[in-house]
Amino acid sequence: MQPKITANARCVDGEVGSIAKIIVDPLSHEISHVVIRERGGQGVERQVPIDQIQAVPNEEEVLLQGSTDTFRQWPVLNRGDYVTIHEVEIAHLEDHLHVAPGEILVPYPRLEQAVPRRSFFANMTHAIGALIALPLVFPVLKYLMQPMYRPFDNTWFPVGNVRKVKKENIGYQFKYTRGFKEAFMPEQHIEKNIWVVKATPAVQQAIYGGKDRKFYDDKGNVVWVNKANATHIGFSGKCPHLGCGYKWRRTKNYPDGVFLCPCHLSIYDEAGKVLDGPAPRPLDVLPLQVNAVGDMKIIDVEYKAGVKNQIRLL
Amino acid sequence: MNGSSPHTPNEPNAFEKVVAFVDERVGLKTIQAKVLNEPVPGGSRWAYAFGSCLLFIFIMQVVTGILLMFYYVPSIDHAYMSTQYIIHEVDYGWFLLSYHFWGSSAMVVMVFAHMSQVFLWGAYKKPRELVWLVGLALFGLVMAFGFTGYLLPWDQRAYWATVVGVEIMDKTPIIGDFLARFLKGGPTPGQMTLSRFFVIHVMVLPAGLMGLAGLHIFLFRKAGPAGPFRGTPEQLKAKTDYFFPRQIWKDIVAMASVFLIICSLAFIEPVVLLEEATPDPGDYHPEPEWYFLFLFQMLRLKIFSGEFGQFLGAIAIPGAFLAFLAALPFLDRSPERDIFKRPLALIGWIVIMAGILLFTVSAILNREFLD
Ligand code: HEM
Ligand code: FES
Repeated sequence: MQPKITANARCVDGEVGSIAKIIVDPLSHEISHVVIRERGGQGVERQVPIDQIQAVPNEEEVLLQGSTDTFRQWPVLNRGDYVTIHEVEIAHLEDHLHVAPGEILVPYPRLEQAVPRRSFFANMTHAIGALIALPLVFPVLKYLMQPMYRPFDNTWFPVGNVRKVKKENIGYQFKYTRGFKEAFMPEQHIEKNIWVVKATPAVQQAIYGGKDRKFYDDKGNVVWVNKANATHIGFSGKCPHLGCGYKWRRTKNYPDGVFLCPCHLSIYDEAGKVLDGPAPRPLDVLPLQVNAVGDMKIIDVEYKAGVKNQIRLL
Repeated sequence: MNGSSPHTPNEPNAFEKVVAFVDERVGLKTIQAKVLNEPVPGGSRWAYAFGSCLLFIFIMQVVTGILLMFYYVPSIDHAYMSTQYIIHEVDYGWFLLSYHFWGSSAMVVMVFAHMSQVFLWGAYKKPRELVWLVGLALFGLVMAFGFTGYLLPWDQRAYWATVVGVEIMDKTPIIGDFLARFLKGGPTPGQMTLSRFFVIHVMVLPAGLMGLAGLHIFLFRKAGPAGPFRGTPEQLKAKTDYFFPRQIWKDIVAMASVFLIICSLAFIEPVVLLEEATPDPGDYHPEPEWYFLFLFQMLRLKIFSGEFGQFLGAIAIPGAFLAFLAALPFLDRSPERDIFKRPLALIGWIVIMAGILLFTVSAILNREFLD
């Protein structure tokens, strides 16, 4: 007969306590000990070998060999030397155990019981893991960053002839193609556009405030100066809000025409000033030169969108 | 860690609170305890570190492989240039590529070591037959990784190893022609071949290896570690400890050593590409990666000449050998695991290893003679 895990344990000379836990041998999968909680002994639990059970008269009761005094000689359970079967993986351990509920314990292997260094091992293991991973952080970051930063491209690109710009203070679009070399790819040709305005002195004043506009390379050297009294202004085709392409449009409110961005409806006047909408700064003026016969060239400067100041990207 | 100190008087910090939150919901601590408290019969050993090292090498292959894909382009116009770009332009690109390259060799060496260990220890026997079978499938995947990855740089070496390798598969009866066309994506190697090898190398095989390695370890845990092949139950019990800490410690030290060796190889012998692939080999003598050399060399033997000989050497013999390995746990039913009491197994292992070594070395000697 199998005793219940809560069965009372008695010796020949009286009841000593009740079964509180069972200990299973990890190799044979057999029950090796029962743990008996002493009656009135402040919960002292003693570890009694299974062969000390003399008889199981009924499910509620087991009879131990020896007297109460013999019982008191069994060692007190050191709970730290055991794990529950839920915390250990031993194949087929539970297959022929039919005890429930309560704690079923498995002893730590003898070698494990004397390891005060468990946390030392854990720390060393983590340390070696870190020694493998950390040296890779910097190379991997550098590897991934390779194409992210490149020097500004200050090449001049021809965009067309000013003859096309007939009226003053009106936006004219000029399309141009530029070569673009990226990493290992052969040179690509990409289409871009700019907007050119033939500015009256008032508009020139609105844009430049009477001061020449300097353009710099990444080392801070001046690469070009737009004169404060230059008649032709080239605006980058990229909306300073979030980078869409904008158009010159006549609207009900602005019958003379404005630059209108279709994405979030930013509106700029012919001087590039924000009239309406979410744009954080005016349209970006590009380095522009016009030669004697009116051919225009620009540097394809590109600024970060969405910020108040011009931060050059390209 | 082991439930021996359930009461901590200190207030839990934020991290402990997060851990406790998750633990309450998924039983994290129990899972952790289960993973760490696995008894290793007879105690931890360096010999059991091979499997963990394989996992480590594989994870590093995944990491470096993903990094390589940031720049690599699997097209025949760009594969070579983008690989050269990684080697010569990108910071540390040469290192990551060379690590990945040497990592693949390390994986093959380690898979042979692991197979040898479980074979010599008789760990394939009942009840671990399924662990062994899934292991064999993993072996196939490791070799397939090597084969498909070799093409990707699209240099002469890559191209010709693939041409020859696919020609060999073509000799498989019935499905050979289909298989070769399937891999080439046409009658001859080209862009379709590169695309197929790429997707097999970076998607199909990793998914397969992750799944099967998971299954392998699950089955291994279900059966429990085999432990040493000698010793009475009492002796074993006396020496038994748990996976944590001693075995984990040995594993991590072994992993760190493997890591250092692969790093050193990457430094000493970084990857250098040959000319870009063309269907004209020029002065180049086609040759597969070193771990396929013994097969390659075998095909140079007289007995493997002619159509039938070729089939015998390239398909039938390796195939029969793998089938034999698969059947091994079912043929070898004796529970004896001590390798010194299994003379046939020991001699067989020595003969196979010596044979592989012999053919590999003679292929290398042949190389000098050709140059
Ligand atoms: C990617 C490939 C593989 C990985 C990641 C892997 C991983 C593992 C791990 C972590 C273990 C646990 C214990 C130990 O390391 O000994 C193991 C055990 C085992 N593996 Fe593998 N393995 C792989 C390939 C193979 C191969 C190719 C075979 C044989 C054909 C194999 C057969 C076995 C066997 C029989 C065991 C049980 C060993 C024992 O109980 O002592 N494995 N494997
Ligand atoms: S991008 Fe032009 S308004 Fe938002």
